[in-house]
Amino acid sequence: MTDNQNPISPHLQIYRWHISSLLSITHRITGIVNLLALILMFFWLLAFSLGESNYELFLLAINSFFGKFILIGFTWSMSFHILSGIRHLVWDMGYGFEIKTANISGVLVILSSLVATIIFWLLGRGLI
Amino acid sequence: MVQFTLPKNSKISKGGYFKDVTGSKNIKKINIYRWDPDKNENPKIDTFEVDITQCGKKVLDILNKIKNEIDPSLTYRRSCAHGVCGSCAMNVDGINTLSCMKSHKDINGDINIYPLPHLKVIKDLVADLSTLYRQYESIEPWLKTKEKKSKIIEINQSKQDRKQLDGLYECIMCACCSTSCPSYWWNGEKYLGPAVLLQAYRWIVDSRDEERKERLKKVAGKLKLYGCHTIMNCTNSCPKGLNPAKAISSLKKMLATN
Repeated sequence: MTDNQNPISPHLQIYRWHISSLLSITHRITGIVNLLALILMFFWLLAFSLGESNYELFLLAINSFFGKFILIGFTWSMSFHILSGIRHLVWDMGYGFEIKTANISGVLVILSSLVATIIFWLLGRGLI
Repeated sequence: MVQFTLPKNSKISKGGYFKDVTGSKNIKKINIYRWDPDKNENPKIDTFEVDITQCGKKVLDILNKIKNEIDPSLTYRRSCAHGVCGSCAMNVDGINTLSCMKSHKDINGDINIYPLPHLKVIKDLVADLSTLYRQYESIEPWLKTKEKKSKIIEINQSKQDRKQLDGLYECIMCACCSTSCPSYWWNGEKYLGPAVLLQAYRWIVDSRDEERKERLKKVAGKLKLYGCHTIMNCTNSCPKGLNPAKAISSLKKMLATN
């Protein structure tokens, strides 16, 4: 009935985002970002093992405005991925599939990932 | 390879504008996806001005009004108009639904109507669901018994066992859920999709069926079932208020604990 002449109906372009779909794609993206964070940690170790001048250069880089932005981003990405992962584990146990529950748990993941990022940095800076 | 953008022949352009001729003050603009297989053109969006005071409550009523009064060439599937047959499934205001169940008063501003997403378009709002029907056939959606009984007798079911089918048997296979699922968009050939998996689960939990194990084994393919990443677009779109995401999760759980 149809061949390659037939167009494909629009999908991503027109479909409305829900909290659930937005969090699902964010979970994937943060998963990849976390891998980048891990790579940065290897560079940290590498700089450490290459001696003082290299390590100082590394510190200079991550203490710059851009460096801090990246580090805070990584902290959030890690927090989000872990919390969202817990949400997925609860789903895997068979709970939380009602639309209302899933929306609430989604908002909770977003808010608590932000709170966790703030707490991590305050703790790390010795401010609390 | 997953293609997030539309191929060249599917890019949508602006179409015609059908101005209101009744002079009514209650005009709603309806943007509708059009594609005619007989014309060698890309799909386009036609805009119709519709007097909604002289129109029924549902989005399907608007489509009928346009077809009857403005443009008889507008093509869409519909039959029962009461949310039972599942023919008029389409994408209204960004979410897949049955147009006969969706009240147009719930939509602020213009109403955008597209065919079900990521399918081959046959004409206008009619899309090709043959892949989905083939997948439905593959799960063998009928009651199976191990050996032929010598006498034909009714297989009884307790009230409790019957309850297992609530929230599953109501499915009318309108395909709103499957075509709302990004995983089904990208892997529609391999992943069975929420509609078919909900049906698979419906036969697996039926106490009268005797091929539960074989059914479970068959559905357990890498992408067949595990293409589901709990995006939950399916449950969010189901016009019958069912929960395909939960059914799929129950299948995964069964396979993990059996």
